[in-house]
This record gives sequence, structure tokens and C-alpha cells, in this order.
Amino acid sequence: MTHQSSLSLLDVPIGTRVRIRQLSSRPEISARLRELGFCENAVVRCVTKGYGNIICEVYNTRIGLNAGLARGILVARFD
Amino acid sequence: MRSKVRRVPEERHLHIALVGNPNSGKTTLFNILTGLRQKVGNYPGVTVERKEGRLRLGDGVVATLLDLPGTYSLYPGSPDEQIATEILLGHASHTPAPDIVICVVDASHLERNLYFVTQIIDRHLPLIIALNMMDVAEQSGIIIDVRSLAHELDAPVVPTVASRGEGIDQLKAAVLTTRTASVRARGWHLPDTVERETEELVGILREAHSLTAPQAFHEAVGLLTAESQDIDHSTRYHREVLAHVKRDHEKLDFLGFDRRSVFVESRYGWIREICTRTVTHRHAAAGWSDRIDRVLTHRRWGVVIFLALMAVIFQAMFSWSIPPMEWIGNMFDRLGDVVAASMPPGDMRDLIVKGAIGGVAAVVTFLPQILALFFFLGLLEDTGYMARAAFIMDRIMNRVGLHGKSFIPLMSSFACAIPGIMATRTIENPRDRLATMLVAPLMSCSARLPVYALMIAAFIPSTRVFGFLSLPALTMTSMYLLGLVMALLVAWIFKKTLLKGSAPAFIIELPPYRVPGVKSIFLLMWERAWAFLKRAGTIILAASIVLWFLASYPKVDGGDAADQLHRSFVGQAGQLIEPVIRPLGFDWKIGVGLVSSLIQREVFVSTMGTIYSIEHGIAGEEATLAERLRSERDAATGLRSYTPLTGICIMVYYVLAMQCFSTIAVMRRETNGWKWPLVQIGYMTGLAYVVTFIVFRTGLALGYGG
Repeated sequence: MTHQSSLSLLDVPIGTRVRIRQLSSRPEISARLRELGFCENAVVRCVTKGYGNIICEVYNTRIGLNAGLARGILVARFD
Repeated sequence: MRSKVRRVPEERHLHIALVGNPNSGKTTLFNILTGLRQKVGNYPGVTVERKEGRLRLGDGVVATLLDLPGTYSLYPGSPDEQIATEILLGHASHTPAPDIVICVVDASHLERNLYFVTQIIDRHLPLIIALNMMDVAEQSGIIIDVRSLAHELDAPVVPTVASRGEGIDQLKAAVLTTRTASVRARGWHLPDTVERETEELVGILREAHSLTAPQAFHEAVGLLTAESQDIDHSTRYHREVLAHVKRDHEKLDFLGFDRRSVFVESRYGWIREICTRTVTHRHAAAGWSDRIDRVLTHRRWGVVIFLALMAVIFQAMFSWSIPPMEWIGNMFDRLGDVVAASMPPGDMRDLIVKGAIGGVAAVVTFLPQILALFFFLGLLEDTGYMARAAFIMDRIMNRVGLHGKSFIPLMSSFACAIPGIMATRTIENPRDRLATMLVAPLMSCSARLPVYALMIAAFIPSTRVFGFLSLPALTMTSMYLLGLVMALLVAWIFKKTLLKGSAPAFIIELPPYRVPGVKSIFLLMWERAWAFLKRAGTIILAASIVLWFLASYPKVDGGDAADQLHRSFVGQAGQLIEPVIRPLGFDWKIGVGLVSSLIQREVFVSTMGTIYSIEHGIAGEEATLAERLRSERDAATGLRSYTPLTGICIMVYYVLAMQCFSTIAVMRRETNGWKWPLVQIGYMTGLAYVVTFIVFRTGLALGYGG
């Protein structure tokens, strides 16, 4: 399979762009995330973190997620 | 390549559905297209399932425009999306499938908005795209080649700026000339194997269920992306179909495809291609939006800013509203004088002046404060701040088992619980949704405002605390806070007991900051004011008149006005329930007020107005209602009947008690039954009684009762 990256969206420093590798939340949550644009291979930028939540930008749209969800989104550095 | 497969009827009346992502400006567009020719039910400001309007298109064509709830996908998540999807796909028995679909797309977020568009295209629905917010896109340096986009999507694309009314005529023209849906081959491609399996399943579905190709494709995608265990439980499809689907699942899983994501990714692949071909960026997007977000959602300052905003709003509601309120009060006084002078003394005159005018005046005086509340809430929503507030509140909501998405319905309930309860449709988890609905009425609605204001005017001195905050404003804020705290507490209890559920997921879209559309806010305020005045003119007027009768009959010979009141129907009824409310420090007159509030909470004020104008005989006396309450003395002891403690107890009772038939009706509708409305009535009444009792006894013990 592909290299397993254990970097999650939550670990990403503010302002950096990453590419989504895998969604490991519950199926219905992952389906929801995908439709909002958090699908595999999408590019995400972390805008700010606070209150145990994170705001990020995907497909030019700003979305807020809680920490639990963000932890389940595995990413890799965008190059 | 257009074919005549899906034709729009050539008749004179069209059914048009207005769809789109949330925050795409759909409702603004709807308002502009239908003007005031809308049928919204009683509660404007929130997208209800039936938000209908009439639209004249020219050429003698009239259309019914249906504003469907904001949707991200035709594979629905929340109840809101379910309704929209059902209607769009023609599965709703209560609403015909639309002849034409206008999809509102936010030009500044084109990629994400196009996801939904591709699903509509797949379904072969006659589609027109309103490419909205072109002004915002331009500001962000996004340039879209509209003709090229229309070519890529094979559908008319009309650029609009709904907030300024631009592009509306072109949109209407497009509706008149759109007759068919595009049936061009699908623009997005799946990996070969997946493509083959999907086509095969489509064929099977068409045969087994007599579906058209686009219908079957839509179902096929849903089936292939579903969980295997959900397939087992499905009752919608034939057994052989389901068996085939399960085999497909195994096959695709075995071959290493992530079934769930491959369809989404493929769509976005196409969308990315489209955008590469049609969109150019003039300059990098400014980072100021990021910086504002970082401040507003800051760990410490976020909450501080939020509380500060709330305090400012309440302070403004108090100070700014006073001049207009006094003006309205004077108007009604003068009206009463004029009418009284032009009529012979007697029952008829009393009925009109004391019953009708007295009752209605007492309530209408509070219109300025209510308008101020709606103005500020509208402002917060329009600038995009509400979503950030929900984000900040998520942490706190989590502690009680809810999440930030519940915050917006609760905030709306500060205006009125009914749109608040309906706004919970966007919450996906049914238990979270139910918990939010159950506690929404605890958020002090605008109907309670006249009650608080009257009590504060009567009993709270206007001293200043900490130099700049006034005690009245502080008291008002406390009542609102009490409701909020109780709502969170009760939600916590519900989530721990009856409505236990897993940790909720919080996903919320944060719309870009924008300069608030003052015109649309004023339109909203105008609608609310009109609804309020209509209510005052009908229900409250009727209630005041009926009350006047019940308070003036049976007639008592001799005796003074107070005696008359004591012996009237209303007096007797009040004295009947007095034993129950005595422990709370209430007397029978307040009892009458409480009972009459079941119609509308603000009737309490008009009830008090009527009772006291009757009791004091002559209309047009100099004392205001507040002054009369304050100076009311017990005939026997000569002591004041009502103290500040009484005022506070009344307010506390109103914060917590369920006193609104309309809310119960909506609860029944939204939960499809009587169980939960009854639970709501039960717990709220019990809570109101107990807490008021505690407050009263504590107050007495601390020496405030005398």
C-alpha cells in the first residue's frame, strides 16, 4: 500500500498546506467530510487553531472542525 | 448536445425550485425574485420547508418559486437536506417535482459549490445556474469566464449579484428559454473497473425498478458508496439487486478501491479541470480574513469579545429604545383621551378605552426594543460572525454533550423559539437535535421582553453599578443569562439520561466576512414588526377585550373599582389558583396574568394594564402601569403588595415556564407526536415553579421581602 503517514490535520502548523491521505473517522462522518471537500488528494490549508477546534481552508472554502475529527484526517506534506 | 428527453411543460405555470449550498445567497435571491409575494408561514427569517413565492416572468408566464433548504449534496445528511432532496427528485408526495431548477452558486467558492451542481446535472434536471456573489469573487481577484463555464456544464450560467439586484432580468429570461435538460455524456470519469461495475448496476436497477437512466445512476452511486450493513437493512430495493450490490462491494474492496471516496474524488477531478479552464486568479487572496478569524476565535479573547458584544447589544437595546417607547406610549395615551372625550361614559367607552386600547398599548410600547434585538441578531448573522460564535461555543457545548451547530438555533431562539426549533433541522444527529429543540424555549424570547421590561421599570432602581452599567440593564442581562445557563444545564441532563449518544462531530462552514446587507436586515425587521403588530391587532386585542369583560362582570353594586375586580369572573378565577402560587410570592392578580400568558407571553403586560386601568377607574391617569404596580398596597395591611423580590420572581418564572401554545404546536410538528412537547411542558413548568420558589424563599430569608 502507500506509505502510512501518521501526520494528522491537527498536527499541521498554522498556515501550511497539506494533502489529505486518508480519512479514518466513522463512515458517515467521512462521507460528510468528503462532500464538503475533504476528500483524498485534496489540498488543505490550516488557518487557525483554538478551543480544541481547527479552522482550515479547502477548495477555497473555510470550514471549522473539532479536534477529534481533525485527528482522524491523515495528511502528508504538500510539495 | 441537447435532446428532447426531459421537457419542461409548455403551459403558463411553472414550478421552479431554488437550490444551492448554504451561504450562497440563495435566500437573498429568493427575496428579490419574489419581493413581498411570499408565503412563508408565520416565521420569516429561516428557511422553512415551504417557502414559496410567486414570480412573474413576462410573456404571461407565472411561476411558483420554492426556496429549498441549503444543501451540500443529493445524498442527504441532515433532515433539511432530506427535504430538499426529496422534493428535487420528485419523491415528495406533498410537493410536485420542479419543472426547472435554479442552482445558486457562490462564485467566490466555485469548486465546492460545483460538487452539488454535478449531481443535479447527473440527474438530468433542467438546470439554470445563478452564479451569485460575483462582486465578492471580483474583490478576491477571481475571474470566471462565464461562457466557457456554461459550455463546460452544458447549462445556462447567469452571473448575479443578488444583494444588489444585478442579473435578475437575465435570470428570468433564462427561465423562459430553458426547456430541456442537458443529456450530454457524463463529464466526470471513474476508474475503468468502477465505471463498468456502475454501468452494470445501473442496467439492473433500470430493469428491476423501472427507473430512467439518470434515476438509476443516482441510486447506483448511493448503493455503491453505502456501508455493507446498511445494504442488508434496506427495504427499498429487490433482493437480487441488493445481492448484486453486495458482490460489487466485495469486488471493489478487494481490488483496493476506496468505494466511498472514489466517486467524490472523481467528481472533484472533473471540477478541478473545469476550474482550470474557466477560472483565473488575478492576485493572491488577501490574508486579512485569516487574521480576523484568528482574533475572533482566539483562545482567550474570542469569548471576551463575544460577551462584550452581547453586553453592548443589551445596553443599546435599553438606552436607545427609550425615546421611541415613550413616544408610542404618548400616542396611545392621546388616542385614549380622544376616544374617551368623544364617547358618553359607560361600559362601551370603558371597553374601548381601558380594555382594547389599554391592553394593546401596553404591548405595542415594546416594539422598539424587539426591533433593536432583531437588528443586532441580523447584523451578527449577516457579517458572518454567527458561525464564528458557534465555533467558539462549540467547546462549551461539548461539555453538555452538544456541539457548536446547536448554538445558532439557540441564538435564534432569543428572538423567537419557533424559527430556532425549526433551525435545528441542520443538525444531523437526531438526539442532539431533540436535545436542542427541548431547551430552545429556555432562551428568553422576544415575547418575554415586555414582561421583563415592565418588572424592571416597576421595581429595579436605575442606579449605576461599576460606574457605567445600569442596574436595569444588568438585571435584564441576568435574566437572559439565566435562560442560557438553564438551557445548557437541562441539555446536559437530557444528554446524560434520556438522550444519551456518542460524541458529536462538529463541522461548520464559515462564510467569508462581508459588509452586512442593511437592506435585507431592514426587510427582516419590517416583516417582524408587521407580524408583531398584526398579532397585537388581533390576538392581543381580542384577549384584552375578553379579559376586560371577565374583569368587569358580574357587576357589583356599590363598592369601589377594586371591589369590582375582586368579585368579577377574572377575580374569582385568580383567587382559585392563588393557593398554588402563593408559595412563590404571587397573588391572584398575578395569577390572572400568568394564565392569560398561555396565549402569548406578552399578554401578561396587557392583562396587568387592563386590570389596573379597571381598578383605578379613570383612564388617562398620570401614573404609568409600572408606577401603579409599585405603589399597589394591600388594603388590609397597608403594606406594599409587590416588592422588588416579587418583580424578580415573576421574571424568573417567565424565564423558565412554558407559556406558548405556538411553540408546543411547532414541537409537535417537528417531532411528529405529542410525547416530546408534553415532556417539554412538564419539565419547564416544574423547573419554573421550583426555581421561583427557591428564589422567593431565599429572598425572604435574606430580608428582601419586606
